[in-house]
Parts: sequence; C-alpha cells; structure tokens
Amino acid sequence: MRLAVLIPAYNDVAPLARALRALGEAAKGTHGVTVFLVDDGSEPPIEPSLELGVPPHANLRVVIARHPVNLGQGAALETARQLALREEAFDAYVTMDADGQHRVQDVLALALAIRDGADVAFGNRFLGDSNVPRMRAAILRAARIFEWAITGLRLADAHNGLRAFSARALARIAIHQNRMAHATEIKQQVSRAGPLVVVEVPVTVRYTRESLAKGQRSLGAVVILRDLLLQYLFGEHP
Amino acid sequence: MNLAAVALLLLVFGLVVFDWITLRGKNRRALLLESAAFVGGAFFIAFPNRATALAHVVGIGRGVDFLLYPIVIWLVRESLLTRRRRQEDGEKLTQLARAIAIAEARTFSDYSSKRAPSQSSDCEASTTT
Repeated sequence: MRLAVLIPAYNDVAPLARALRALGEAAKGTHGVTVFLVDDGSEPPIEPSLELGVPPHANLRVVIARHPVNLGQGAALETARQLALREEAFDAYVTMDADGQHRVQDVLALALAIRDGADVAFGNRFLGDSNVPRMRAAILRAARIFEWAITGLRLADAHNGLRAFSARALARIAIHQNRMAHATEIKQQVSRAGPLVVVEVPVTVRYTRESLAKGQRSLGAVVILRDLLLQYLFGEHP
Repeated sequence: MNLAAVALLLLVFGLVVFDWITLRGKNRRALLLESAAFVGGAFFIAFPNRATALAHVVGIGRGVDFLLYPIVIWLVRESLLTRRRRQEDGEKLTQLARAIAIAEARTFSDYSSKRAPSQSSDCEASTTT
C-alpha cells in the first residue's frame, strides 16, 4: 500500500517528531509512506532534517511546505491536500493532527478501510479506547446533532482530525474554512460530492496535557459557528 | 443648553483633538471629514430644536430619530461591507500564502542513501544525517 499522510503543523515540534518517527517505523510494512507536512507559519520554521530526527528509512518521504503566515489548521490541510494531489495517486490519504493525539496504528487502520473499498473513513473516538474529557464529550455530542442537520452525514464523532480518503474522494473536496470549521466543511463536501462510500473506524484519541493545551477549547464551538456563518454569508464557496 | 449637551460637545471636541494628536506624522485628511461630521453633530447638540424642526418637515417626531435612522442604516451596511471585504482579503491572503508554500515545497526522502527528485529542483534538499 502506498500511503499519503497529511499533517498540518504549528509550532509544537516534539509531538510531531514522535509521530514522524512512528510513521517511519510503520512505513517499513508498506510500499512507502509520504508525509505531506505543512508548517502553518511556525516560529521558528520547522526544519525536518534537524529537529524532527526522522529515522533513516528508505520507505519514508517527507514533503514539507511552509505558509509564510499562520492561516489555521484548515488552510494547512488544504495546502497539504493540493500538494498530495500533484503526485501520482496514492492508495489512501490520511489526515492526522501534529499534537500527539493520534496514534500511527489508527492511521494505518483508516488507510486499510480505504484499501478495502471505502472512499472516506472518519475516525470515531467513542468506539475506541479514548479518554475523552466529560466536557469535551458533551460538546461533541451537541456538535454531532448540529452537523447531522447541516451536512446530512450522521457520524458518531463530530470533529476528529483522523480521516482517510481515496484519491477520487480527496479530489472532490476542497477546504475553504481556514480554521477549525474545516471539519464541518469536509463533511458537507463529502455529503455533496455524490455517491461515496463513507465509514467510521474506531480510533483512540489520547488526551495529553499538550494536546489539551493546544487543541480546541470549549469556546471553539462558538468560533466554529461564527466561521460557518461568515462563510455562508460572504464566502465565495458557501 | 443643558449639562448633557455641554458634556457631549466637550467629548466631540476632545475626540477631534485626540485624533489630531495621535495621527501626527500621518495622513490627516480623513480627519477633516470627521471634523465636518462632528461640526454638524455639534450643531444639532447645541440647537436640538433645529433638528426637531427638520424632523417634523419629513414627518419624524423627534430630532434625535431624524439623525439616528440614517446613521443606523449606514452603520449596518458599512459593517456588512467591511465583513465581506475582510473575508475576501482573507481568501486572497490564503491563496497567496498557499501558492508560495507549494512553490517552495521541499522533499526529504530516502534518509539512508540516494536522493529522490524534489518537486521543484532548485529547492531540493536532503538531510545530512
């Protein structure tokens, strides 16, 4: 399996380095892993060769691009998507966060779902072994109903950065939400893209101190609603 | 003139002076517009009966309302136009930043021995490990 992993990164390099090392190990069992790493204007810039300490391994490639200014996770993901689509098709494209929340074995599990015929695979942290904080779980439950209403996709996990796409599914979505509302936008587009096979795969999301410090705050839901409204009212791609 | 009117006039005058000072060394032409609007406002503060007389001509009860209605309409419109402009500028900035990022993307591959072709050969890089 040729696997593409799309990672938006901003500033916090240590968990990213751990993820890349794990991907390097996992790449041994595949026909090659290409990481499309988008540095979303980190200060100082992320230097893959030195800081990340990726182990020498012939099966791992890292394509790194850097936004000259910080735009947001959605924008970085879209840049990674466009970079990935410039190359020959991969068997699966997996998006993951750079903050250490996501495990490489789940990346592989999502990729396998694509290999087995799915077009889009969403990670579901409520079926896996995740230690979801109670407040977070409550917000996600509400978000799930909201997203069902506006996207038509009924998923158990509303905002999970672990997702996988087939080449044709990835080509059909385009992210215009620069910040956190991109998760909702992706679902809208998957829903509108026509007949795609959508599955949910159990994953384990690790809530560590660093991921909680960096991840979405509870107020994030308000910001997401605002961004969705602004895009709806003024965006070129509502 | 009552106390409130005096306070308002002082505030308006104070704001113009403050803006004049803080914009020192910059283009202060827009301040003339601001001052003109404030002189008009000050006139109606000082002589509220004039505003009421004008309002009655067009069938509005109070002078304050006569001024308030167009200002609210203008502000709502201005706010929406500004939001739209901001959204459009944001989209342009995103496209520009993305174009730069993709043009300057580097490929690090085959950490052990040979080098794989990079996306843009002039930016090709490889680890030194």
